[in-house]
Amino acid sequence: MAISASSKQHSRNNRPSTAGQLGSGLGAFKFPFALSSLLIALSFVPRIQGNTTLVWSFWGAAAALLAWQAYLLVNSKNKNEERVFSILLRPQHYIQAMVQFSVYAYWGYYWRPVYDHAWLIIGQLLFAYTFDMLLAWSRRREYSLGFGPIPIILSINLFLWFRDDWFYLQFLMIAVGFMGKEYVRWQRDGRSSHIFNPSAFALGFFSLILIATNTTALTWGQEIASTLTLAPNIYTYLFLVGLVVMYFFSITLVASAAAITLFGISALYSAGTGVPYFLDSEIPAAVFLGLHLLITDPSTSPRTPLGKTIFGMLYGLGVFGLYTLLGSMGSPTFYDKLLVVPLLNLSVIAIDTSVRSIHSQALLNVWRESWFGGRANLAHMSIWIVIFASMSFLGKTDSMHEGDSLPFWEQACASELPNACSRMLQLEASYCGDNAAWACNEIGAHYREGKITESNEELSLAYFSRGCELKFQAACLNLLDQDLVAREVPHELDLRLLLREGGQNLMSASTQELYEKACDHNWAFACESNRSQI
Amino acid sequence: MSKPQPKANAEGGGSSAQQIPGRTLGLSIMCLMIVFVAAWMTFQSRQQEATVVASAEALASVTGLRSDAWYLPDEPLLGFVKIPAGTFTMGSNPALDRLAYENERWSSARRQGSVELADFYIGKFEVTLAQFWNYAQENPTLADKIPADVPGNIPITNITWPEALGYARWLQGKMESSPNTPEELRSYLASGARISLPSEAEWEKAARGTDGRLFPWGNMPSMEFANYDSSIPLPVGSKPCDQCAFGLQDMSGNVWELTRSPLQAYPYTVDDDTANLAEDALWVMRGGSFADGVGNIRAAVRGGVDPGVRNNTIGFRLVITTL
Repeated sequence: MAISASSKQHSRNNRPSTAGQLGSGLGAFKFPFALSSLLIALSFVPRIQGNTTLVWSFWGAAAALLAWQAYLLVNSKNKNEERVFSILLRPQHYIQAMVQFSVYAYWGYYWRPVYDHAWLIIGQLLFAYTFDMLLAWSRRREYSLGFGPIPIILSINLFLWFRDDWFYLQFLMIAVGFMGKEYVRWQRDGRSSHIFNPSAFALGFFSLILIATNTTALTWGQEIASTLTLAPNIYTYLFLVGLVVMYFFSITLVASAAAITLFGISALYSAGTGVPYFLDSEIPAAVFLGLHLLITDPSTSPRTPLGKTIFGMLYGLGVFGLYTLLGSMGSPTFYDKLLVVPLLNLSVIAIDTSVRSIHSQALLNVWRESWFGGRANLAHMSIWIVIFASMSFLGKTDSMHEGDSLPFWEQACASELPNACSRMLQLEASYCGDNAAWACNEIGAHYREGKITESNEELSLAYFSRGCELKFQAACLNLLDQDLVAREVPHELDLRLLLREGGQNLMSASTQELYEKACDHNWAFACESNRSQI
Repeated sequence: MSKPQPKANAEGGGSSAQQIPGRTLGLSIMCLMIVFVAAWMTFQSRQQEATVVASAEALASVTGLRSDAWYLPDEPLLGFVKIPAGTFTMGSNPALDRLAYENERWSSARRQGSVELADFYIGKFEVTLAQFWNYAQENPTLADKIPADVPGNIPITNITWPEALGYARWLQGKMESSPNTPEELRSYLASGARISLPSEAEWEKAARGTDGRLFPWGNMPSMEFANYDSSIPLPVGSKPCDQCAFGLQDMSGNVWELTRSPLQAYPYTVDDDTANLAEDALWVMRGGSFADGVGNIRAAVRGGVDPGVRNNTIGFRLVITTL
C-alpha cells in the first residue's frame, strides 16, 4: 500500500502529527541541497562504485535535482516568493514503511540480493524526497515533510528493480510515480485527488514498456517474483504483517476480498480441470504481497465498504485473467499483479457511484457498523483470520503444493488435462533456467519429439546445449545425433533444484534425505532407490 | 514576501491561476519521459546486439580465406583433407613411448589396439576466429565470445563443446545448400555424411597416420612443427609441417581440440558412447596446446573436459564423416 500524502481518511489511530513549519524562505533550499549532496556522497560506497553506469546514474540524478533547485532558487529570488516545508507525520506512512521494512528484512535474510540492494534503496529515498519537495515547490505548494515517500519507494522495490547497468531508469520510474501523483488527478467527492496509486502507476507504466519492448531482462522482476518463497512460511508472514496494516487502516475488505476471490476461482479451476491454475500455489506469493501492500491505498480505492469488497474482488479477477493473457502472449506472467492496479484505480469512482446507486437497504446494510458494535473492521479481520487459517489447514498456503511436483505434471500431461502440458513445459523451462540439467534435457526432448508441443528443432538444440553444458550426458548425445532422444533420470544436483518447493535450500541435504523427498514427490526411480537401500 | 497558496486553490482555477502553475506542462514532461524511456529501451536493446557483432568485423580481413565460402581456407576442398578408409594403431605402447599415460593403454592384456575406420574428411587447420565470427553473425548471443583485437586466423577458443557442435551444424547447413561447396564434398554430404567434431579414433588416425608414430611428423618432439611450451596460440598453419600425417597442421600443440567421444576407458568402441548416462559428461580433447609440455602434445594423449568449460587453450577442428 503506497499511501499518498494527501490521504485524509484518518481513523482515531492515524491522525497526523505536525511539528509546524520547519523551513521557510530561501534557507529552505538547504534541505533539498543536503539530500542531493548525500545522493552524490552515496555514490562513493563500494556497492555503487562497483558499476560505472550505477555511479553515473546517481550523479545524473543528483545533477538534475541540483539544476532544478538552482532554477527554483533563482525564480524564488526574482519573484520574491518563499518556499516552505513543514513536518507532517502520518501513521499510515510510517506504519506502512515499518511493515514493508520487515518484509525486506525477512525476505533478504533468505535471498541475499535484497540486502545488497539496500544502498540503492537509500539512494532512491534521497532522490524521492528531493524530487517530491521540488515538485511541490514548483507548484508553489508548501511541502509536507513526513514519511510519505518511504512507502512509495519501498513498494516499488518490492516488485521491480532495474539492473545496475540500467539503474537510471529506476530514478525515472520514481519520477514518473511522483509526477503521476501530482499531475494525474480528478475531482472525487468534491476534492481534487490523485487518480493512481503512485507506486502502482509507475510500476504499471514501466511494466507495459518492458513487455512491449521485450526487455524484462533489464530488471530483477522475474527474480523478485520467484524468490519471495525462499523465505519459509512467507504466506503466514505476509498474512501476519498484513493484519497490522488491516488493524490500523481498515483495508481488510480490499485485501481479504482479493485473496478470497483468488483462492476461490483458483480452487474452482483446480476442481474443474484437475490441475492448479497458478503453477505451484493457489496464489503466487508475490500476488499475495501485492494484495496486502499495493492495492490498499485508501486515496485510490473505493470509500464504501461494499465498494472496497468489489474493488478487492476485481483485483482477484484481474490478476486471474492477466495471468492467462500474459502467458498466451509469451510475456512474463509476474506482471499480472502490477498491470491491473492502475485499471482498478481508474474504476473507483464508478464503483463508488454504482454502490451508492443501490437502493436495496438489505444489501447495503450487510456492512452496517452497528451489526458489529461499531467494530466492523475487527469483525472483517476475524473472518479473514478464519479463512486464512482454513486455507493453511488445508495446505493451500505454505505447505507443499501438488504443482511443485514435476511427476504430477507429467502425469497430468499424459492424462491430457487442460493446459497441463504447457504448464509442464513452463515449469521445466523455469527449472532449466535455474540450471537443473535434467529439465533442460526434458524440455529439449519435448521440442524434438513434437508430441506435446509443436516440434521446434532450434529450441530443442538450445535446451540440449544448456543441459549438456551442465554436464547432463543424455543432452550431449541428443546434440550429437539429431535423430536421437536420450533421456535419463535426474541427477543428484538436479534433485536439489527440482525439490525446493519454491523455497527450500537443499544444497546441504544428504543424498538419503534427497531421495526420500524425491519419493514424496512421486519420482518412481527415487522410491526404487530407497527400497533397494532398505 | 508572499505566502504560498493553500492547496485547495492549487488546480489553476479562479484568481490563483496566475500564481499556481497549471498541470499541462508537468503532464507533458511526464509523458515525454515515458516516451523517452520506451524509445531508449527499444533502441538500447537493439544497439547492444548490433555493436557486439559489428565489433568483430575486422577479423574477417585475413588473406587465404574465402569470404564467399564461410572464411574457410582457399583450397580445393576448402581446407578439408580426405583420410582413406583402413585400420590404424590406437593407444600407446609404454615400451616405445616413455611419456605415455595410463589411460592410453588399450586393456589389461594389450597395450595398443587396432581400429578400422571408413573414409572421412578432416579440417587441415583448426577452426579460426574469422570462421566462427561468420557463424556468430547469425547467432548474436555468441558474438561476445569473439575478441575484436586479434587476427582472424587465430584458432577460436573459449567456446563450449555445444557451441563447437553448433558451428559444425551451421556449416553443414550452409555447405549442403551452397553452390560454392566443392562437388566432392557436396556429394559426400548428400550421401548422408555430416559435419561434426572428430571422434577420438578419427582424430588419432588423422594425427599419427597408419604407421603408429608418436607425433604427427615422426617419433621425436620438435618445436619446428608445433607450438608448445609457449605463451600464446599462433595463427593456424604458423608451423608448416608437410611431413605431418596427411599434411594436417597444428595437430600437436597450439590449442587442445575437442572431440565427440566421451572420456571412458579403452578399448575404444563407438558402441560405448551412449553408455553411462548417469555419470556427468566429460569429453575427450586431443593434441595439447601452446601452454603444454611435450608430454601432452603426443598424438595418443587423451585429455578430458567438461562440456560447459571455456578455456583459452581449447578449440576444435571439424570432420565430415558418415559415422
